Amino acid sequence: MSNYFYVSPEQLIKDRAEFAQKGIARGRSIVASLYDRGVVMVAENPSASLNKVSEIYDRIAFAGAGKYNEYDRLREAGVRWADSMGFTYAREDVDARALANYYAQHLGDMFTEGQKPLEVEVLVAQLGGDLRPTKLFRILYEGTIADETRFSVIGGDAEVIRERFAQAVPEVVDLATTLRQAVSALAGPDRTIPISDLEVGILEDRGQRRTFTRLAADRIAELLGEG
Amino acid sequence: MGLPLFGPTQDPGPSFLGLTEALGVAPAWGPTSSDVPHATTVVAVRYSEGIVMAGDRQASGAYIASRDVKKIGAADRFTGLAISGSAARGLELLKFAQLSFEHYEKMTDTVLSLEGKANYLSPIIQRNNLSSPLPVLPLLAGYDPTQQAGRIFEYDGAGGCYERYDFATIGSGTPFAEGALRLGFRADLDLEAGLELAALALYEAGDNDPSTGGPDFVRGIFPMMVVLDAAGFRELAADDVGERFHRINERRAESRGVAGGALR
Repeated sequence: MSNYFYVSPEQLIKDRAEFAQKGIARGRSIVASLYDRGVVMVAENPSASLNKVSEIYDRIAFAGAGKYNEYDRLREAGVRWADSMGFTYAREDVDARALANYYAQHLGDMFTEGQKPLEVEVLVAQLGGDLRPTKLFRILYEGTIADETRFSVIGGDAEVIRERFAQAVPEVVDLATTLRQAVSALAGPDRTIPISDLEVGILEDRGQRRTFTRLAADRIAELLGEG
Repeated sequence: MGLPLFGPTQDPGPSFLGLTEALGVAPAWGPTSSDVPHATTVVAVRYSEGIVMAGDRQASGAYIASRDVKKIGAADRFTGLAISGSAARGLELLKFAQLSFEHYEKMTDTVLSLEGKANYLSPIIQRNNLSSPLPVLPLLAGYDPTQQAGRIFEYDGAGGCYERYDFATIGSGTPFAEGALRLGFRADLDLEAGLELAALALYEAGDNDPSTGGPDFVRGIFPMMVVLDAAGFRELAADDVGERFHRINERRAESRGVAGGALR
């Protein structure tokens, strides 16, 4: 006969939260911010092929911090959800808020009912247009969702980086400045991040349906030189 | 529609067809009644730097159903997809292909190869055509960045996919368009010659096939002409196309409708 020990719900939640936070803290952080012409997502990512920042739909981008296999599965689900929504209804009906809510529900369910909570935080960015405003949705490992109007940080050192970025960029500015400040907020005062370790994606209107672009290394270098 | 999460064994991968089937939103490829509008002639011609495509604009049932259908679409930046057969099915296929190629790109962060795109359509055509009295036959052509050349893929009714190295035509005007292409095609066509030949082939089809809409000078509706090269897919402006058909028409009027003697 096996023994079951009583664990209070408070303790259970605390243990699960600690577990998830530890996992997330092992990964690198991501800064997403509005700039004068769109949204930029900046991640420190030594891998050139395992992306943290990705396209979901015409005006929606995704960023994930924490365990790659877990947030990449959420990214895939997001692409699938958006493409089948757009196929069933119309492209303009695909709304980032609805997707962010699904992510929040899923992360919340996994936190309370799953074998283990997911060790991820995700960010859903929506470039505004005629129908919707520009928005950043930040979803934490236990399903907490926040919509942020100017910038957002996810990942291990989110709080520290948030402070640094908020002080350096108090209002919406151009892409070069935003990028440079995001990179130095991610790096902190004592180190510099090589350009090869940066992953940058933007949502910007260029007269085309799809607004997401992943910036190439030489473009990042050019912008950091300007900023 | 909730968040589509799959276990590793049920995962449809980057295939949009697999995804729509798993979610139960796949188009009902299957029998249709036979009095729905038909879409007709499209040609694709390979020239030295890519592909030229031209398609008429008419959809016909027992009467003319529409005069301004666009039968050639950009399946993605370097790929043109044209349709013939059932207009409804064809347009659905066009939309489905566009979504599928974009879906693949987003899921895998790589662009599907041109041959991969051509092969992807085979089972969809097969499934539709084997169960439907109104088949749809697409024509896929594009610029292949890896080969740095234009490539054309045509299909048979059973979904077989064949690469053509010169030109291809689909739709009811095929015998007439193909006749003009067979006489006029050379391996070293430049862009201008390619456009001229494609326009002429379409003019022939419109002249002889009742289901193919020729240039409509009264309404100012002209066939759709597209170029695919290293810069991607671009549609010619309506004025440009109109002028080309005006010139052919003038030549034909001079010879009182007789095409013979030379390709004119």
